[in-house]
Amino acid sequence: MKLAVVVQRYGPAVHGGTELQARYIAEHLAQHAEVEVLTTCAGDEETWANKYKAGTDTINGVRVRRFRVSRSRSGTASARLGERVFHQTHSLADELKWIEAEGPMSRGLLRHLRKHGESYDFCLFFDYRYCHSFYGARAVASRAILVPRAERDDAIGVRAFHDVFRGVRGILYNSPEERSLIQAIAGNPQVPGIVVGAGVDAPQNVQGARFRQKHDIRGNFALYIGRVDERRGCRELFDFFARYSKQAGTRLSLVVAGDGPLEIPQHPKIKHAGALDEASKFDAIAAADVIVVPSAYESLSRTALEAWALGKPVLANGKSDVLRGQCLRGNGGLCYRNGEEFAAMLQAIEQNRWLSGSLGKNGRQYLRDHYDWRVVERKYHELLQQLQKSPAKTAMPPIPGWSERRRRDLPPAADVLRSAS
Amino acid sequence: MAEFNVRSDSVNVEQIMEQIRARIREKRGVDYTEAEIQQLASARLESFIDPGRLHSNLLAEFQRVRAEGDAPEALDAAVDESVLFETHRGWLRALRTLLRPILKLFLNTKALAALTARAKAELTRKNRDQMTFELIHNVVVEMTRLGIEVKNLTMRVESMQSRLEFNERRARALEGAVVYKPSEPDVTPQRPPVQESRPPVEFRPRHDSQQASQPAASGQSAPAPGSPDGQGQPGQSQRRRRRRRRGRRGGGQPWTPNQPGQPGPAGPENPSGLTGHAVSPHEPLPADDEHADDLSTEPEEPDDSGPGTDSSPQ
Repeated sequence: MKLAVVVQRYGPAVHGGTELQARYIAEHLAQHAEVEVLTTCAGDEETWANKYKAGTDTINGVRVRRFRVSRSRSGTASARLGERVFHQTHSLADELKWIEAEGPMSRGLLRHLRKHGESYDFCLFFDYRYCHSFYGARAVASRAILVPRAERDDAIGVRAFHDVFRGVRGILYNSPEERSLIQAIAGNPQVPGIVVGAGVDAPQNVQGARFRQKHDIRGNFALYIGRVDERRGCRELFDFFARYSKQAGTRLSLVVAGDGPLEIPQHPKIKHAGALDEASKFDAIAAADVIVVPSAYESLSRTALEAWALGKPVLANGKSDVLRGQCLRGNGGLCYRNGEEFAAMLQAIEQNRWLSGSLGKNGRQYLRDHYDWRVVERKYHELLQQLQKSPAKTAMPPIPGWSERRRRDLPPAADVLRSAS
Repeated sequence: MAEFNVRSDSVNVEQIMEQIRARIREKRGVDYTEAEIQQLASARLESFIDPGRLHSNLLAEFQRVRAEGDAPEALDAAVDESVLFETHRGWLRALRTLLRPILKLFLNTKALAALTARAKAELTRKNRDQMTFELIHNVVVEMTRLGIEVKNLTMRVESMQSRLEFNERRARALEGAVVYKPSEPDVTPQRPPVQESRPPVEFRPRHDSQQASQPAASGQSAPAPGSPDGQGQPGQSQRRRRRRRRGRRGGGQPWTPNQPGQPGPAGPENPSGLTGHAVSPHEPLPADDEHADDLSTEPEEPDDSGPGTDSSPQ
């Protein structure tokens, strides 16, 4: 079986959630099938500026084919079009313009898919909202399998994506909540799909003391790993933590591992460890008492899975139904909805060793049962076998003509999401 | 393929979170959101900031408006169509009276009068509603405040009760741990020789101690503690016990003999001569019960009166 993994960026130095998932999946599937990664030369997701050399390369035993990005991303244009698409009545042409503005637009990649798409048995497209998935899935609709990584944000309400959700051969969801959301919005229960996610490879020689020594961290601490961004819930996290640390008898400090546009407040109990590599990340998790996941937008929290891999409890934002579902199903973490709950639950984990230990233990068991690589590989294998045997039941509807594309009758994406919720 | 059915028996996250949320609700008093509490607080504050909005005579106002609204004669008067043609100008009134039959050909003046009456009644009702709303609002705000206060007080009582129980348990534990050694006057050790070289601690007499020594000075010797006469005096047994303890510790009061107001050997400074023998500053004090009893007429012990007069071995 020959598979193509199509993702916006790829490489060991790329740490985005989607990119990491795509790389892990490609490397694990490469043990069972012939896998080729189709990606762009982009290095960062802000501008999609070409960083890597176009052409073929081999990374960790996987063949990688890179294509140049045709047009770099403009943040202001994207925001302006996004405002129109999300909050105003708009046309399909507006949506297409917004998708292209979001990027990464690589004509070479699309040309390759149109020309050589038949040579792959299946093409796995990661992240539904980007150009490569939207136009790529249309180019090879009969072989397209989507890993949507959908979050409960306004983008899911964009009408143009719904045809993609209905027209691909199969969908690999990351969580049951993601599947419910997409099926409610796009109405695609006929499309074969399965909840898979991705496994976690924890290194063997994890040492929390190494992280403490390197960053001069003493005492117990809660850990946040990820981009320091308002969208990731970091501002709320800092506010809530400041409120928590004002309470009597609280000893935990907060260690922030990651960089981003949001400024980290000056607080005696908030420490910034900067961006970490894979080994240091697991060292940090091992040293931490609890891992905080403050983002309200998640399709699958890898941070939570990595915490559970090392038997650590998770404190997650309960506004994300995915995180809430993960914590409830796995019994591996608590969820907060406001500052009071954040403080109370963090205190409960801090002061109750039994609770903390039980949550971590349950999380580890949950991870072994559902996100072990053997389980993930088996699920991929079963879905691909099933799709190979059965003919395509759905067809991708074509993009409407010039005049229909310009008809301003599409409701705001935010309203679509609200009505589906 | 089985999907997502892990449920550990040991920890139920949902239950734990619900317990924590219930505790937060309990702590907060009522299940208001932060915004609602802020709104309530600001509403109350507004009333106090703007006293012009307050009805100081709310009840009287309420009764007045109700009386106006319910007055039947007022309604009858309003329904009377003649009010439509009233004016203070005589010629105009005459003209209207003259033309009234013609006017009544064109419109139903009774209905117009009824509408006027209804409008007035509506106005009254609105006033009454306004006051009712104000009453209800005040009641709700007060109830909320009282509810929160009651919850807070309940929590304080519970906290104090738990502290009391803890202290009781602690006291019981301490009582069980202490072993009382029976006092044996004969075997009470003498003051250790090392204390002989210690300079005597200055005794600062208190005012009441001087008063206590007055009867002795006037020749009326106080009954010795331990004697039948002294047994009934309150506090004496406690003093004796304190002295016994001090005696056991070897920390008896090192007296300086010739200080005013202090019991000592017979003489002008100590006319009662109750101690029975002279005590050198460097001589160790006998600490047996007999001597302790002899010292019972002395003023209140300085070491009990505060750190400034502490005479215990340093």
